[in-house]
Order: sequence, then structure tokens, then C-alpha cells
Amino acid sequence: MIGVSFFRVSKAALQNSWRNVWLTLATLVIMTITLLVVLLLYYANIFGLEVIKDIEQKVDLSVTFKDGISEQQVNEVAKTVSSRSDVQGVQIISSEQALEIFKQRNIDKPFIEESLKELEENPLPASMFIVAKEPKFYEAIAGFLGTDRFAEIIDEIHFEDSRLIIERLISLIETIKNAGLIISAVFAGLVVLIMFNTVRLAIYSFREEIDIMHLVGASRWFIRGPFVIESILVALISVVMANAIAWPIIKAVAPTLTTFFFEGHIQGEPFDIYVHTLDNWPNIVGLQLAVAVGLAMFSSIIALQRYLKS
Amino acid sequence: MITFSNVSKKYSRDSAALHEINIKIPTGDFVSIVGQSGAGKSTMLKLISAEERPTNGKIVIDGWDITKIKKWQVPHLRRQIGVVFQDFKLLPKKSTYENVAFAMEVGGARTREIRESVPHILKLVNLTNKATAYPGELSGGEKQRVAIARALAYKPQILLADEPTGNLDALHSWDIVQLLIKINKLGTTVLLATHNNDIVNALKKRVLTLSQGKVVADKKSGTYKL
Ligand SMILES: Nc1ncnc2c1ncn2[C@@H]1O[C@H](COP(=O)(O)OP(=O)(O)O)[C@@H](O)[C@H]1O
Ligand SMILES: [Mg+2]
Repeated sequence: MIGVSFFRVSKAALQNSWRNVWLTLATLVIMTITLLVVLLLYYANIFGLEVIKDIEQKVDLSVTFKDGISEQQVNEVAKTVSSRSDVQGVQIISSEQALEIFKQRNIDKPFIEESLKELEENPLPASMFIVAKEPKFYEAIAGFLGTDRFAEIIDEIHFEDSRLIIERLISLIETIKNAGLIISAVFAGLVVLIMFNTVRLAIYSFREEIDIMHLVGASRWFIRGPFVIESILVALISVVMANAIAWPIIKAVAPTLTTFFFEGHIQGEPFDIYVHTLDNWPNIVGLQLAVAVGLAMFSSIIALQRYLKS
Repeated sequence: MITFSNVSKKYSRDSAALHEINIKIPTGDFVSIVGQSGAGKSTMLKLISAEERPTNGKIVIDGWDITKIKKWQVPHLRRQIGVVFQDFKLLPKKSTYENVAFAMEVGGARTREIRESVPHILKLVNLTNKATAYPGELSGGEKQRVAIARALAYKPQILLADEPTGNLDALHSWDIVQLLIKINKLGTTVLLATHNNDIVNALKKRVLTLSQGKVVADKKSGTYKL
């Protein structure tokens, strides 16, 4: 019973779309654009967060010790610093180790080896790398190392503060988000407007049928169903179209974006939006479905409410 | 049984289309509702099909109080009530068969049921040979018979006919009235609103006379004069 009705209602919906084929196409295009803007918004957000995470990971705090500081003094500083609750750990690199590393790195450049031999003393200072428990602690730790207490021991503090970059990035992302929100709101408004009018026209062109349906006791669902289903159908096709457009683009630009933003990534695989898309497609498609079907139902139900009596 | 108890209907504040109507129409009756234009005949039928709600009073159909019927219940009521109008209200792009089938379709009847019932109904109204004709190709009387066939699609207990002969010549009018009598004989309660006195007088059935929204006469085998 329900099956038969549903089939008839859907058939009526299809015939309905066919009658207003140009309007249906217009709705389709605008809806697809809306979904693409929503997708852009989504990726800007995700991507921004990933870039920030990455930069935070790159925060780097190290100190070089003054010449002639003993190993014991270095160890003492290391002990003091690592006993802080915000410090995850420290790594000491003695001047010998530093030299070793330096030599290793320049093994293919014989002239460096030569010039090192010329020097009597090891020119490289001992240093210490500090890893904080959380990125936001670095500033306090750097401040602590900069106090007079260590002035005699520590030569230089190397603190690459990426907060400024991160702040700029956050504000850039905010701007993109706001612009995206406004654009999607405008397009969503357009979708609602067009769909509303599509349904209004459909109601108008079916007014005789609707009258008779009322007369012979067709159920509310039978009268309204085709209009709602028609809108939902358009919404579903828009989702398919938006994905058909978006996926190849995402796949094409993903490597470039990854190389550009995540060069020198430290931990694990660098972020790749295509991989992210593959991993999260139910959420991404779900978001689009929610937006598309939501808009479709909203506009058609409002139009039905407005233009169908009873 | 259709019962009106103290039913009034006001479309606007000062004038009443119907005023304190008290009537009982037993199942299987054939009742003509007569009166001049504006007397309230259509309003009375619209109250029965719940197209309008009474301002006061109570309407009960077969024990079902439809006075304050909910929107979602209206379709159930409508499937027990067939309606025909002066202007036929047929779908011009559908054939005779399709017009009748459409009514069954939108009510959710099964395809098989439709295929079996429609020819039966068309035979009852004597339109079998016009099944594939479109309304534009039919005479007024034939159009009205299609409308009656459609009204019968659900095998309603009640048939409301609002001036069904208003657009027809005398011969066709009589044709339609004969059909209504036939349907009544099959057990359907028929309410016929008309101001055609020839028909009413020939019918020799119950006549309710309305004037300015009031029942001014209710005769078992009535006559009607303008
Ligand atoms: N929808 C309406 N809105 C306002 N007044 C109406 C409406 N329908 C009918 N009326 C008024 O109610 C009275 C009865 O009308 P109606 O029932 O159509 O009479 P009849 O069918 O006997 O000609 C008339 O005065 C008419 O003008
Ligand atoms: Mg009337």
C-alpha cells in the first residue's frame, strides 16, 4: 500500500520536474554552487587547523651555552629545566657531539673538513633542546631561561616563536570562514528563493489536480509529497554533482598543497586533503546531504504551507 | 444518518448563510435541497464534506461528529462522500477512464483494484464507449456522468450533487437525475441541491426548502415553486 503510493508520488514528482525543466536546472546549478562553497568552507577550516597544528609542532626552543661552561654546569641547568612541570624533556648536545653532527652533515664537502682541522679548538658550543608539554608553554620556558640566573651560563636562547604566524593564520582562516559563510548564506538564500518559486509554479500548474485531490479525499502526504520529493530529488542530484566536481579537484591539488604547507613535517604522514576526504567521506557527504536536503525541505514546505490551503 | 443540530454558518459577522438548521437525513434517503440563489444550499453541502466548518451547532454523520474534525481526518471523511458540481471539475488532459482512475489513485487504491473497478463504474454511468474520450470531446451530460463516476470511485455512502444540472439542457438534466436515482437505489444517500423545479416536482422525493439560510419547508414528497 505504502509502496504503491510512494511509487506513484515519486512518479508524479518526476513528471513535475520535467514540466518545469528550466527551473529545475537552475535550482540544480545554484544548489550545486552552494554545496561547493560549503565544501570550500569545510576544507578551509580543516586545512587551517592542520596547518596550525603543524606549525605548533615545529616550535623550537634551544639554548647554546657559553664557552668554557663545564659539563656539570650544563647538566645542572638541564636538571633545573626538566624539573619544571611544563617541560616534557631536554636533550643536551655537547660541543663534541655537535661537531660530530656537523662533520656528518658535511661529509661530502672536503674543504670544511680541512678548515676544521686548521682550528685548534672545537668552535661549536654545547647546546640544549627543550620540548614543552604543550606548545603554549614555550614562551614561559623561554622567559625562565632568559632570567639573570642563567645569564652567566647561557649564551643565546633560540626561540622561534611561531605564535605570530599562527595568529595571522587564524585571522586569515576566520576571514575565509566569514566570507564563506556569507557567500553560502547568499547562495542558500538563492536556493530557497528559486525552490520556493519552483514549488509555487508547480502548485499553480497542478491547481486543478490538487483541487480534485482535495475533493476526493487524497491524503495530505499524497498531495504534498510530490512537491517535497521533487525538491529532495534535486537536492540529491546536486550532491552528486558537487562531489563529481569537487573530488577530482581535491585529488589534483592535494599533493601541491601538502608540499607547500607541510614541507619538513615532523611527526607521521603530512596532512593530505585527498586522504582526509577518503577517510572522512561519510561526514563530508553527510554535511552536503544535510545542507541540500535541509534547504530543499525548508523551501518546499514553506511554499506548500503558503500556497496550499488545508 | 446525517444530523444537523442547531447549525449556523456565518461567513461574515452580520449575515448568516445558514441559521439554526435542525434536520435528520436517514441513510439511503434521496433529498432535494431547493431555494433561490444565495439561500444556503451549497453551504449546507460544504458543511457535510467539511469544506466549511459550522459557526455554531453540531453535525454528525453516521455517529461521527465532524463539527470539529481535524485537518488530517478530512480525507477519511471525503472518501465516504462523493461530490459533483455544476462545472464538472474534470481534468481536461485526462480521458474519462483516467479521470476516474486518478481519483482512486490519489486515494492510494491498488493498481489491480483500479483496473477492475473503473470499467464497472463507467458501465454504471453508461460511459463504457467513451472511456478513452477527453472531456473536450464530451457533451455536458456526458461530462457530468464522468464526474459522477469519479464521485463513485470510493463507493461512497453519501453523494452530494450541487446543481449538477445547472449547465445542462432539460433532456440531459433528466438523464443525470435518472442516474442519481439509480445510485440512490443502490443504497447511497443522495443530496441534490437544485433550483430546477421541474426536476424536483417530477422526483416525488423529500424536499428541503431553504430561504435566507433557514429551512422553511421539509416535505416527504415535496414540490417546489419559485
Ligand atoms: N465563501 C464565502 N464567503 C462569503 N460568503 C459566502 C461564501 N459562500 C457563500 N457565501 C454567502 O452565503 C450565502 C449562501 O450561499 P450559498 O450557500 O452558496 O447559496 P446557494 O448555494 O443556495 O446559492 C450567500 O449570501 C453567499 O453570498
Ligand atoms: Mg450554490
